[in-house]
Amino acid sequence: MRIESKRLVCLGLLILMFGPAHILPAQSKSADNNEKQAPAPMKLKVGDAAPDFTLLAFDGKELKKVSLQDYRGKKNVALAFFVFAFTGG
Amino acid sequence: MKAFQQNLSKLEGTDTQVLGVSMDSPFSNFAFAQQNGVSFPILGDWGGPVTRRYGLIQKFDIQGVSMESARRATFLIDKTGKIINEQVDDTAVDPSKTVGACERQKLKG
Repeated sequence: MRIESKRLVCLGLLILMFGPAHILPAQSKSADNNEKQAPAPMKLKVGDAAPDFTLLAFDGKELKKVSLQDYRGKKNVALAFFVFAFTGG
Repeated sequence: MKAFQQNLSKLEGTDTQVLGVSMDSPFSNFAFAQQNGVSFPILGDWGGPVTRRYGLIQKFDIQGVSMESARRATFLIDKTGKIINEQVDDTAVDPSKTVGACERQKLKG
Protein backbone atom coordinates (compact mmCIF):
# COMPACT_ATOMS: atom_id res chain seq x y z
CA MET A 1 0.00 0.00 0.00
CA ARG A 2 2.75 2.40 0.98
CA ILE A 3 4.59 1.91 -2.28
CA GLU A 4 1.40 2.38 -4.22
CA SER A 5 0.60 5.65 -2.48
CA LYS A 6 4.13 6.83 -3.16
CA ARG A 7 3.56 5.96 -6.77
CA LEU A 8 0.38 7.97 -6.75
CA VAL A 9 2.20 10.97 -5.31
CA CYS A 10 4.88 10.60 -7.96
CA LEU A 11 2.25 10.40 -10.66
CA GLY A 12 0.56 13.48 -9.24
CA LEU A 13 3.86 15.34 -9.26
CA LEU A 14 4.53 14.26 -12.82
CA ILE A 15 1.17 15.59 -13.91
CA LEU A 16 1.86 18.85 -12.08
CA MET A 17 5.27 19.13 -13.70
CA PHE A 18 4.39 18.14 -17.22
CA GLY A 19 0.69 18.94 -17.37
CA PRO A 20 1.18 22.70 -17.67
CA ALA A 21 3.90 22.13 -20.26
CA HIS A 22 1.29 20.51 -22.47
CA ILE A 23 -1.14 23.33 -21.92
CA LEU A 24 1.39 26.13 -22.47
CA PRO A 25 2.30 25.34 -26.09
CA ALA A 26 -1.40 25.35 -26.91
CA GLN A 27 -1.69 28.80 -25.39
CA SER A 28 1.36 30.15 -27.16
CA LYS A 29 0.02 28.76 -30.42
CA SER A 30 -3.16 30.77 -30.04
CA ALA A 31 -1.02 33.80 -29.16
CA ASP A 32 0.81 33.30 -32.47
CA ASN A 33 -2.48 33.31 -34.30
CA ASN A 34 -3.39 36.57 -32.62
CA GLU A 35 -0.06 38.04 -33.62
CA LYS A 36 -0.78 37.31 -37.25
CA GLN A 37 -3.98 39.31 -37.03
CA ALA A 38 -2.40 42.29 -35.29
CA PRO A 39 0.41 43.90 -37.30
CA ALA A 40 3.84 43.39 -35.78
CA PRO A 41 5.49 46.58 -34.51
CA MET A 42 7.93 48.25 -36.87
CA LYS A 43 11.64 48.12 -36.14
CA LEU A 44 12.25 51.55 -37.69
CA LYS A 45 10.09 54.46 -36.65
CA VAL A 46 9.40 57.97 -37.93
CA GLY A 47 12.33 60.14 -36.85
CA ASP A 48 14.87 57.32 -37.10
CA ALA A 49 17.80 57.52 -39.51
CA ALA A 50 17.14 55.31 -42.54
CA PRO A 51 19.91 52.68 -42.79
CA ASP A 52 22.18 53.27 -45.78
CA PHE A 53 22.40 50.59 -48.45
CA THR A 54 23.67 49.94 -51.95
CA LEU A 55 21.74 47.57 -54.22
CA LEU A 56 21.72 46.75 -57.91
CA ALA A 57 19.05 47.68 -60.43
CA PHE A 58 18.92 46.53 -64.04
CA ASP A 59 17.90 49.17 -66.60
CA GLY A 60 17.66 46.82 -69.60
CA LYS A 61 21.29 47.34 -70.58
CA GLU A 62 23.43 47.15 -67.51
CA LEU A 63 23.39 46.63 -63.77
CA LYS A 64 23.66 49.88 -61.87
CA LYS A 65 24.48 50.51 -58.26
CA VAL A 66 21.87 52.55 -56.44
CA SER A 67 22.62 53.83 -52.95
CA LEU A 68 20.31 55.61 -50.55
CA GLN A 69 23.16 57.93 -49.62
CA ASP A 70 23.36 59.14 -53.27
CA TYR A 71 20.21 61.16 -52.63
CA ARG A 72 21.36 62.79 -49.41
CA GLY A 73 20.98 66.57 -49.65
CA LYS A 74 19.40 66.21 -53.11
CA LYS A 75 16.07 64.42 -53.03
CA ASN A 76 13.58 62.80 -50.70
CA VAL A 77 13.27 59.06 -51.30
CA ALA A 78 10.06 57.03 -51.25
CA LEU A 79 11.41 53.55 -50.56
CA ALA A 80 8.71 51.04 -51.44
CA PHE A 81 9.31 47.46 -50.32
CA PHE A 82 7.02 44.97 -51.98
CA VAL A 83 6.60 41.25 -51.52
CA PHE A 84 7.83 39.79 -54.80
CA ALA A 85 7.95 40.73 -58.46
CA PHE A 86 4.87 39.56 -60.38
CA THR A 87 2.65 39.74 -57.30
CA GLY A 88 -0.21 42.18 -56.74
CA GLY A 89 0.06 45.40 -54.73
CA MET B 1 3.84 49.18 -57.92
CA LYS B 2 1.37 50.27 -60.58
CA ALA B 3 -0.24 52.59 -58.04
CA PHE B 4 3.13 54.22 -57.43
CA GLN B 5 3.65 54.62 -61.16
CA GLN B 6 0.29 56.39 -61.44
CA ASN B 7 1.38 58.80 -58.71
CA LEU B 8 4.93 59.17 -59.98
CA SER B 9 4.53 62.70 -61.37
CA LYS B 10 3.02 63.86 -58.08
CA LEU B 11 5.90 62.33 -56.14
CA GLU B 12 8.55 63.65 -58.50
CA GLY B 13 6.87 67.06 -58.33
CA THR B 14 7.72 67.13 -54.64
CA ASP B 15 11.39 66.41 -55.28
CA THR B 16 11.01 62.74 -54.36
CA GLN B 17 12.74 59.79 -55.99
CA VAL B 18 10.71 56.57 -55.93
CA LEU B 19 12.74 53.39 -55.43
CA GLY B 20 11.10 49.97 -55.33
CA VAL B 21 12.80 47.14 -53.46
CA SER B 22 12.04 43.44 -53.62
CA MET B 23 13.90 40.27 -52.72
CA ASP B 24 14.10 39.23 -56.37
CA SER B 25 17.03 39.45 -58.74
CA PRO B 26 17.46 42.81 -60.53
CA PHE B 27 16.59 41.01 -63.78
CA SER B 28 13.25 39.69 -62.50
CA ASN B 29 12.50 43.17 -61.25
CA PHE B 30 13.29 44.70 -64.63
CA ALA B 31 10.97 42.23 -66.39
CA PHE B 32 8.26 42.97 -63.82
CA ALA B 33 8.75 46.73 -64.29
CA GLN B 34 8.50 46.42 -68.07
CA GLN B 35 5.39 44.29 -67.92
CA ASN B 36 3.69 46.79 -65.65
CA GLY B 37 4.92 50.01 -67.22
CA VAL B 38 6.96 50.94 -64.14
CA SER B 39 9.62 53.53 -64.96
CA PHE B 40 11.29 54.00 -61.58
CA PRO B 41 14.14 51.67 -60.55
CA ILE B 42 13.26 48.48 -58.69
CA LEU B 43 16.26 47.35 -56.71
CA GLY B 44 17.07 43.69 -56.24
CA ASP B 45 17.55 42.81 -52.58
CA TRP B 46 18.49 39.23 -53.29
CA GLY B 47 18.58 37.23 -50.07
CA GLY B 48 17.04 40.18 -48.26
CA PRO B 49 19.92 41.88 -46.40
CA VAL B 50 18.37 45.34 -46.76
CA THR B 51 14.83 44.10 -46.10
CA ARG B 52 16.18 42.53 -42.89
CA ARG B 53 17.98 45.75 -41.87
CA TYR B 54 14.69 47.61 -42.27
CA GLY B 55 12.94 45.02 -40.06
CA LEU B 56 10.61 43.81 -42.79
CA ILE B 57 11.31 40.08 -43.08
CA GLN B 58 8.19 38.00 -42.55
CA LYS B 59 8.11 34.23 -42.38
CA PHE B 60 5.21 32.19 -43.58
CA ASP B 61 4.29 28.64 -44.48
CA ILE B 62 2.70 27.45 -47.69
CA GLN B 63 1.73 23.78 -47.51
CA GLY B 64 4.35 23.24 -44.84
CA VAL B 65 7.13 24.88 -46.85
CA SER B 66 8.52 27.81 -44.91
CA MET B 67 9.46 30.95 -46.81
CA GLU B 68 10.65 34.46 -46.12
CA SER B 69 9.48 37.57 -47.89
CA ALA B 70 9.37 41.29 -47.35
CA ARG B 71 6.47 42.96 -45.62
CA ARG B 72 4.78 45.53 -47.80
CA ALA B 73 6.05 48.88 -46.53
CA THR B 74 6.88 52.35 -47.80
CA PHE B 75 9.33 54.65 -46.05
CA LEU B 76 9.55 58.32 -46.93
CA ILE B 77 13.08 59.48 -46.26
CA ASP B 78 13.97 63.18 -46.29
CA LYS B 79 17.11 64.79 -47.69
CA THR B 80 18.95 64.40 -44.39
CA GLY B 81 18.35 60.62 -44.43
CA LYS B 82 15.65 60.68 -41.74
CA ILE B 83 12.42 58.66 -41.96
CA ILE B 84 9.55 61.16 -42.04
CA ASN B 85 6.67 58.84 -42.88
CA GLU B 86 6.10 55.11 -42.94
CA GLN B 87 3.23 53.01 -44.21
CA VAL B 88 3.06 49.29 -43.65
CA ASP B 89 1.03 46.33 -44.91
CA ASP B 90 -2.31 47.33 -46.45
CA THR B 91 -1.79 51.08 -46.11
CA ALA B 92 1.49 50.80 -48.03
CA VAL B 93 -0.27 49.52 -51.16
CA ASP B 94 -2.05 52.82 -51.74
CA PRO B 95 0.59 55.55 -52.12
CA SER B 96 -1.81 58.42 -51.31
CA LYS B 97 -0.54 58.79 -47.72
CA THR B 98 3.04 58.86 -48.95
CA VAL B 99 2.08 61.45 -51.59
CA GLY B 100 0.36 63.54 -48.89
CA ALA B 101 3.43 63.39 -46.68
CA CYS B 102 5.61 64.45 -49.63
CA GLU B 103 3.40 67.44 -50.30
CA ARG B 104 3.50 68.49 -46.65
CA GLN B 105 7.28 68.14 -46.75
CA LYS B 106 7.42 70.38 -49.82
CA LEU B 107 5.40 73.08 -48.05
CA LYS B 108 7.81 72.90 -45.12
CA GLY B 109 11.01 72.77 -47.12
